[in-house]
Amino acid sequence: MVVGIKDAAKLTGISVIMGCAVLICTMFLNYYFDMNLIEDQLASEQEIIMYHAQEATVRVICLVAGGCLLATSVVMLFFYIKHYIDTHKKELGILKAIGYGSWKIAIHFWVFGVSVFLGAAAGFGGAFLLMPWFYALQNKDHFLPEVLLRFHPEVFALLVILPTAAFSALAVCYACIKLKRPVMLLLKENFQVLERKSRKAEGMVRGEKRERTQKTEASFVENLKRSTLRSKKTLVFFIVFASFCFSAMTQMSFSMKDLSSEMMGAMMLLIGLTLACVTLLLAITTVIRGNTRTIAMMQVFGYSQKECSQALLGGYRPVSYIGFALGTIYQYGLLRVMVDVVFRDVEGVPVYEFDVPVMLVSLVTFAIFYEAVMYYYTEKIKGISMKEIMLEG
Amino acid sequence: MIRAEGITKYYGAGKNRFPVLKEISLSVEEGDFTVILGASGSGKSTLLNVLSGLERPEGGRICYGETDITAFSDRELTEFRKENVGFIFQQYYLLPNMNVDQNVKMGADLAGNRNYGDIIDAVGLGEKKRQYPSELSGGEQQRVSVARALAKRPRFLFLDEPTGALDEETGRQVLDYIVRLQKEYGFTIVMVTHNLNIAEMAKTVIRMNSGRISDIHTNEIRKTAYEIGW
Repeated sequence: MVVGIKDAAKLTGISVIMGCAVLICTMFLNYYFDMNLIEDQLASEQEIIMYHAQEATVRVICLVAGGCLLATSVVMLFFYIKHYIDTHKKELGILKAIGYGSWKIAIHFWVFGVSVFLGAAAGFGGAFLLMPWFYALQNKDHFLPEVLLRFHPEVFALLVILPTAAFSALAVCYACIKLKRPVMLLLKENFQVLERKSRKAEGMVRGEKRERTQKTEASFVENLKRSTLRSKKTLVFFIVFASFCFSAMTQMSFSMKDLSSEMMGAMMLLIGLTLACVTLLLAITTVIRGNTRTIAMMQVFGYSQKECSQALLGGYRPVSYIGFALGTIYQYGLLRVMVDVVFRDVEGVPVYEFDVPVMLVSLVTFAIFYEAVMYYYTEKIKGISMKEIMLEG
Repeated sequence: MIRAEGITKYYGAGKNRFPVLKEISLSVEEGDFTVILGASGSGKSTLLNVLSGLERPEGGRICYGETDITAFSDRELTEFRKENVGFIFQQYYLLPNMNVDQNVKMGADLAGNRNYGDIIDAVGLGEKKRQYPSELSGGEQQRVSVARALAKRPRFLFLDEPTGALDEETGRQVLDYIVRLQKEYGFTIVMVTHNLNIAEMAKTVIRMNSGRISDIHTNEIRKTAYEIGW
């Protein structure tokens, strides 16, 4: 078998993100379906306003949180498949060379959908554990008639079955596209550079001459930093996403405390930190694993651990702070919309202002967290030796 | 001068622990061209790695002049390699996403060498500075790794089967470049090979067998890369 369950199990990132997305969406969507059942019991204007406000909340949360996390999972899935093909290109190339078609190989990539199923099922189950408390919280002031918790098979189908099937199909299609290239490109070393060469031949690499001249003037470490950033753009996205989650969710959790409840805030904080940790760790691990040979050679030549880490990880630092800034803007925008638009007609909604101290605390915590992760990986670099690279051949 | 005294090195652990180097003692004169010759599994590459400070021996001492590098910490060893040592491997290990110029700069930056372009010219790649490793032949890639190693102006150059992946003509060309550059820059060469013919180019030949030195001799007449057999 080309791809096994073991390979799919490595997609922890997708499972975690899907788990968080499904957890949030299940709670809100299930509540939405249950709330629909009490629509005909609404009597007062206050009840109708509250009902519509909660309906709008469900839409916003499912679209914004669910949509963002779903999109990130798709990007992560594509990244993993491309990474898998890049790291197993020789085996895949041999299979193609002896006559297996791209489609025949790609069909095995359906197992990547298993990671989605695991995450989605865990998120769905987790949501049902939290829902009794969530329902009580949503209607704590008893503005609405009692909303009873029911199981809706359509929610299960929509949030567990459908994503699993869709992700499996996506994995197969994407793998098929990625495998549709000449066998020699898969078999030869420096796959990506060869690809660039063929693109260049087609006249698709624009402005490369100018770029090459600029790169040469910089130091080796600086050049490597840029080349590392450019070679895996998806990792830049993940690092932005990780810092975005950290920033948005930590700040929102403190604001939620005033706007909703402490438990809601704690849940948001937990989801944010989980997403940030998992994504950041996976992204940095991929950077290190993808550059073991470079690190080993740098160490052989006498570059210090700090210089290796600076060359490979240093470029991501500014990117992570951009992610943090985007997260801050996002959470402010989202809460502004919730307070000013969704709950506009509801009485008693607290005033919401941008919380500078919370932002500063979040920024300092993020800086400490980020630097601790970087320190851990700088220490990990020490363990990479030329011996294992030589043994790899 | 490099002096190794009673070097022992083991691989594996527990029941699978076996000796790779057994009480090796040798010395390499500064400016010398020494070849370590031996069959596959004789321990020659391990000896090269230990001599150059890439690996630590379990026993014995390695001294560069009066400096015992086996007593160095990891940081000191890195600093030592930075200041003194250049490496050329059979598999080149060039950085695929960097062009020839940037790969050579990896070595040059460590020595603050701004004129590394001369070395690229000297190995005959002046016209290919902007090419990437995948756009070069095996011989050209090995010449890039020669330029990269020499751009850091090492006092000692360690080579592990540098022609192992090359055809005869390219192999001779690379060896010729290395010897010519040694005459120009005056560094010490320690080369590992299993090719008896290449040993005829060296001044000192150390033969290894099963982790021990079986013979050390000096060549009275040294041949050039184009005079040896292949």
